[in-house]
Amino acid sequence: MHWTDIAENYDFLMKGLFITLKLAMVSVSGSLIIGIILGVLRYSKLFLLSWFAVAYIESVRSIPLILFIVFIHFGALPYLTGEPSSFFVSACVAFIIFTSAYIAEIIRSGLNSVEKGHIDAAKSLGLNRMQRLTYIILPLAVSRMTPALVSQFISLIKDTSLASTIGLIELTRSGEIIYERTYHETEILIFIAFVYFVICFGLSKLSALWETKPYMCTEHREPVGANQ
Amino acid sequence: MYNFDTSVILESIPFLIEGIKITLFISVISSICAFLIGLITVFFRTMGSKPLKFIAVSYVEIIRNTPLLIQLYFIYKSLPAIGLMLPPIGCGILALSLYTGAFISEVLRAGINSVASEQYQASISLGLSKFQTFRLVIFPQAIRIIIPPLGSQFINAIKNSSLVSFISVTDLFYRVYKGAVDDFRFFEFFITGALIYMVLTGTVALLTNIFENQFKIQGRTAKA
Repeated sequence: MHWTDIAENYDFLMKGLFITLKLAMVSVSGSLIIGIILGVLRYSKLFLLSWFAVAYIESVRSIPLILFIVFIHFGALPYLTGEPSSFFVSACVAFIIFTSAYIAEIIRSGLNSVEKGHIDAAKSLGLNRMQRLTYIILPLAVSRMTPALVSQFISLIKDTSLASTIGLIELTRSGEIIYERTYHETEILIFIAFVYFVICFGLSKLSALWETKPYMCTEHREPVGANQ
Repeated sequence: MYNFDTSVILESIPFLIEGIKITLFISVISSICAFLIGLITVFFRTMGSKPLKFIAVSYVEIIRNTPLLIQLYFIYKSLPAIGLMLPPIGCGILALSLYTGAFISEVLRAGINSVASEQYQASISLGLSKFQTFRLVIFPQAIRIIIPPLGSQFINAIKNSSLVSFISVTDLFYRVYKGAVDDFRFFEFFITGALIYMVLTGTVALLTNIFENQFKIQGRTAKA
């Protein structure tokens, strides 16, 4: 075994890890914003808006992520801007388009999980639709959506490894660059898998801690949505 | 305005159909294997002894928390080092089965947990063995609840099968990409590829709905 490869290239790998985390943070912020808009659109009673949201969500959810990444990097962005796109930007755009559809689904099922009794009570207090959404439905829904959102974020961190295929030097690609030179694939791949495992497993354990908190929930319920 | 040229697609239909066959072959075989893996591990997790439970839980957690691409590369590049030579398509099926199996195991566990524990106690008091309880009492009730999430795992298997193109399997995604690069026609090929994937996953979604209605017990609503 050649574990010294990792120690020798430690800085390079950590630089890759930094890019991976940066990519995940930028993408998750962007897809949260778009996902919330889409989720509320889908929840809304306006036919055209909810129909648009359904069409977007369902079509994005049935296409592989790698198709988006490659198409946006080599096809869409260069065509729209007229010049080659940077790896980081195309990866971000692809992840935001892809993950926002999943987040919209989580938002919608979170909104739907609010019992009718709460909404009726709010109506009887004379709150209008916007007030009901901001004061009653959203605070309840957000606490229930958190586990599903965290698991979507974990999926996204794992998916960032796909950005290596268009050439972005994140954690996976930096590992590839090392073993393409040294031919010691096993050690590097185990190390990279370990890094991903620590991040993702740690996050899922953190979210499990949150789940056991009886925060704003009167009864135990299954988290909405599911990990991919 | 982009000049959309359908003739390049029409010319490469046979080329793409070959790819659909490979994608379907990989995803069907690995879905079946993944379901079996899921069944075995969930049996270990719910009713097995402590070491078996530990093995099953670590398998599920390790697979679920590492990217599929890394697992694929690991199986493709590291297994030959210990003397196990598989063709690329075999590596793809193995990796995809292991990956989907871990997620199916979680789905099955959620389904089993949703069956009331009195049922388990009742069947033990009737003298059924652990395996009989699982097979005759718990599983038939759980399977009705898990059909929708199971269907979405099969859909994920089809989508994830596109990654095998990175270990040189000429599946649908590989052919879409190759066609796009060769003719420099990204829009045509990628829109066609997306539509094909939508049809494939849509079919599975439709089948899931049909099965769900087929297995529904009259007068009973499944818990969410």
